[in-house]
Amino acid sequence: MATTNPIEKRKRNKRAASIASWIIVCIFALLFTFPLYWIITGSFKVKKEIISSTPVWIPSKWVLDNYQNLMGKRSAPLFELFGIAGPTGPAAIRWLVNTVFMAVVSMLLTCLTAAMAGYALAKKRFYGRTLIFTLIVCAMALPKQVILIPLLREMSSLHLYDTIWAVIFPIVGWPFGVFLLKQFAEGIPTEMTEACRIDGASEWRTFTDVMFPMIKPGVGACAIFTFINSWNDYFMQLIMLTSTKNLTISLGIATMQGENSIDFGLLMAGCALASVPIIIVFLVFQKYFTKGITMGAVKG
Amino acid sequence: MKKLLAILLSVAMVMSLCVFTASAADVTEISLWTYPIGKWVDEATVSDLLADFHAAHPEIKVNVEYLDYTNGDDKVNTAIEGKQAPDVIMEGPERLIANWGAKGLMVDLADLIPEGTYASVVDSCTSANGEVYEMPVCMIAHCMAINRDVFAEADALQYLNEETHTWNSVDDFFKAVQAVYDAGYEYVGCIYCGGQGGDQGTRALVTNVGGGTYANAEHTAYTYASTENATGLSRLYNQQGINFDPSIVAGDEIQNFVNGTFQMAFCWNIGAEINNADALSFDVLPMAFPSDTTPSLQGGIWGFGVFNNGDEAKIEAAKTFIKFMTQDNDQYAKAVTATSFAPVRDLEGFAPNEYFAEYSLLSPLMGDYYQITLGWTTARTEWWNMLQRVMDTDGSVDAILAEMTAAQDASNAAAK
Amino acid sequence: MAEKPSQPQRLLPWYAEIREEDTPLPEKTISVSKKTHRLVMQENIAGYLFMLPFLLFFVGFVVYPMFMCVYTSFFDATMNREDIFIGFQNYVDLFNDPVFWKALTNTLIIVVVSVPVTCAFSLWIATLISKMPVAATSAFRCIFYLPVVTGSVAVTMVWKWMFNNYYGILNYLGKGVGLLDKNVNWLGDPKYALGCIILILLTTSVGQPIVLYVSALDNVDKSLVEAAHVDGATETQAFWKIKWPQMMPTTLYILVITTINSFQCFALIQLLTSGGPKNSTMTIMYYIYYNAFKQYRYGYGNAMGVILAIIIAILSAVQFRMGKEK
Repeated sequence: MATTNPIEKRKRNKRAASIASWIIVCIFALLFTFPLYWIITGSFKVKKEIISSTPVWIPSKWVLDNYQNLMGKRSAPLFELFGIAGPTGPAAIRWLVNTVFMAVVSMLLTCLTAAMAGYALAKKRFYGRTLIFTLIVCAMALPKQVILIPLLREMSSLHLYDTIWAVIFPIVGWPFGVFLLKQFAEGIPTEMTEACRIDGASEWRTFTDVMFPMIKPGVGACAIFTFINSWNDYFMQLIMLTSTKNLTISLGIATMQGENSIDFGLLMAGCALASVPIIIVFLVFQKYFTKGITMGAVKG
Repeated sequence: MKKLLAILLSVAMVMSLCVFTASAADVTEISLWTYPIGKWVDEATVSDLLADFHAAHPEIKVNVEYLDYTNGDDKVNTAIEGKQAPDVIMEGPERLIANWGAKGLMVDLADLIPEGTYASVVDSCTSANGEVYEMPVCMIAHCMAINRDVFAEADALQYLNEETHTWNSVDDFFKAVQAVYDAGYEYVGCIYCGGQGGDQGTRALVTNVGGGTYANAEHTAYTYASTENATGLSRLYNQQGINFDPSIVAGDEIQNFVNGTFQMAFCWNIGAEINNADALSFDVLPMAFPSDTTPSLQGGIWGFGVFNNGDEAKIEAAKTFIKFMTQDNDQYAKAVTATSFAPVRDLEGFAPNEYFAEYSLLSPLMGDYYQITLGWTTARTEWWNMLQRVMDTDGSVDAILAEMTAAQDASNAAAK
Repeated sequence: MAEKPSQPQRLLPWYAEIREEDTPLPEKTISVSKKTHRLVMQENIAGYLFMLPFLLFFVGFVVYPMFMCVYTSFFDATMNREDIFIGFQNYVDLFNDPVFWKALTNTLIIVVVSVPVTCAFSLWIATLISKMPVAATSAFRCIFYLPVVTGSVAVTMVWKWMFNNYYGILNYLGKGVGLLDKNVNWLGDPKYALGCIILILLTTSVGQPIVLYVSALDNVDKSLVEAAHVDGATETQAFWKIKWPQMMPTTLYILVITTINSFQCFALIQLLTSGGPKNSTMTIMYYIYYNAFKQYRYGYGNAMGVILAIIIAILSAVQFRMGKEK
């Protein structure tokens, strides 16, 4: 029979293919999950098991030593408000606070400025528009390492060196978000803004009440990207921050190493601590993330 | 929604602007940056030491920052660039004299050095222009270590002298390695050349086995490309059980020694044993490097340096701090104990831990401190790159000498 | 309104049916004479005001350092000393520097290998997991994104252990299974080191493309695919002829981002190999870091950065041009 045979054959093939695909995907998934698994189990191991030459898959004793070490090694005021230092606590916590603060503020500032700028670049015609866009594309191509020394000199003359703002401001200035949101804003038909103007709304009202809600998925994507990128931007943090109380978590952990002796347990505990918040953020905001970047990429 | 955003942003801005704590009027604040020298990486220990100082000198406040060796140099260099160099820094001559001192960033501390400080140490802390940029605090002779249990099992202990911690001769050293290898241990020792970390071990090994020198006495040029050193390296190359490994540095070698993969470690000192005490499952025997004459061990000297940031008050405060830490014998003993190394002048009854007596037997074997030779940074890079290239040669003396000469020429060129 | 396969119309709100291509800017539909001076001024002012916050940060913290970087590349700049003008000398030195050429070759190898492999691999995995139940797709998507969020320090530490010459898991399993007869020094052998770096880079790069591709596959017009099946097309044909063209914008985006990321691969090399063994993993990024932060040759490093930027810009422009033509 002309119609059932191909359909049945397709069904059988589909079943075999789906089993094969499950197996393949699971194998790769194992490879991808392994680093996190190793870090987390490692953070609970004793030193002997961590450096052991035969792999210890599951710790024979689950110890909290590494975490205690992590918390006890350095202390710093947990936060500072109006010049008054908060209670002194484990520096690791302060580092987490710093990192979260940095990521959240970068995210908020970037989304706001990028949304406004993306809208302007996409919809508004003004002198110098092409020049700015060219500069943006050039800036994205330039590797960050090379602007670090001039940036460093600049930050120190602005007295921002060794403050968290020295890390945040360059992130906000980075044009990736503007690029993304420009693509988004271009997809919104101009009739909407025209209609608003005819209705007599001010430019700002047009933006906040009409444009912004429509590019929300793009803003969501921009938010997640900025959060993750700022969290992982190790080199910029290394250059700009020095005092113990101003460090970020990955930087802080690196400073706890001795000469020629890497305390892997400490390092793993710190990495585990550092990755937990960001994984939570990713899981919680997953759906905004995936919906958002689809729209951007497809329209891009 | 946007109101909320606006409020959040303004709060954030205000919060950050008020981060600066108002300091009391007549307290001079100085910053101390310390590399991880023994327990000076531990906050509790340092706070304790500083508490003594603050009690004695309430008009000076010391703020400590801890550096590590991976990122420490970057941090200091960027701080210097950002005009925020610290006041006091604790490290060794290769940074304080040869690097920052040579760039004219440090303050002369000659008048602070107490009587009785070992002359060779003071010499190492003196720059080419005669100024002393480092106030030495502690020193140690870097040595090597063997797994005593394995060597006993392979009957290789006959080739060394356990009392003096020296090898009977260079030939005996190779016989010992062969014995351990024949007993079934594939990896006896490893010449690590993945980076500059711990290169004092490989340098000491090659120069002692070969019998040559590393730099000239005036510390103006490198001399390691000699037939003696090439012969030594060639013997090491051809010895079963000793491999070259460009994927590891000293830290990895120590780890591999502690977990039993290697039977010898070439980068070792008392600090390594203390740090790994809880993971060691065998008896460690610290040894001098094999030599047919007197072994010449690489020294490590650590001390305080003062950056000249243009503020006289801070420089004075920094000097006061250093004097406090080093003049009085009891206070000095406390400071040195924290480093886990040895003092730089005679201190009666100084025995901070159970390992000290054993390791101090090796201190007299400390040789020339040549890490202050000009162009040191380039020389270090050239050394481990050279070892990697040697790995690819056939191991003959000529081939190795050719590689060494190339590296030495590059180092000397940078020494100008 | 006729269904056009190039637009995922379900995702656009109702007013999108009014326009089917990119919206041209207002003044193309309104003739210049009709546009009053007041409107032009208003638009200009509005444009600048909206750009202002971003421009402040952009010019201050990106453009200015960028120009300083290009400017300093013509000087011999180092720490604590005045810059000396030397014209194009840095560029000439670069041209004669064998390590620079090795670094450039390595960088290009990394890009040429990892970009297509990343795209192909993520496309393949995405097709496999998008057919699974929603919960599984979600779970796998997270799993493939994990190396990105775990952070470079953690990832490199684990891989360093896995590649360990003496007791790493690869040698352990390899010998156990019989594929290897003695330990392979993965990170210590110039033949393999670069490959290992590329492998690790792949695991940290495929997360985002997989997420993108899964969503793009979801948004493909199902009715067209059904129609193709009814007409007798196989899965493969349906994929290449129908789904693939619809995902072109996604693919282009992924290509550009992956290219830029693989050019800027740095943390891996710094933490694992420091450019060795024998410069086999030396990349331009690491060489810039080495020159600027270890040798204090700022001018030289900046010159390299300028060259790298030019290369990336050209490549990105080419990719965009190719994407636009399709």
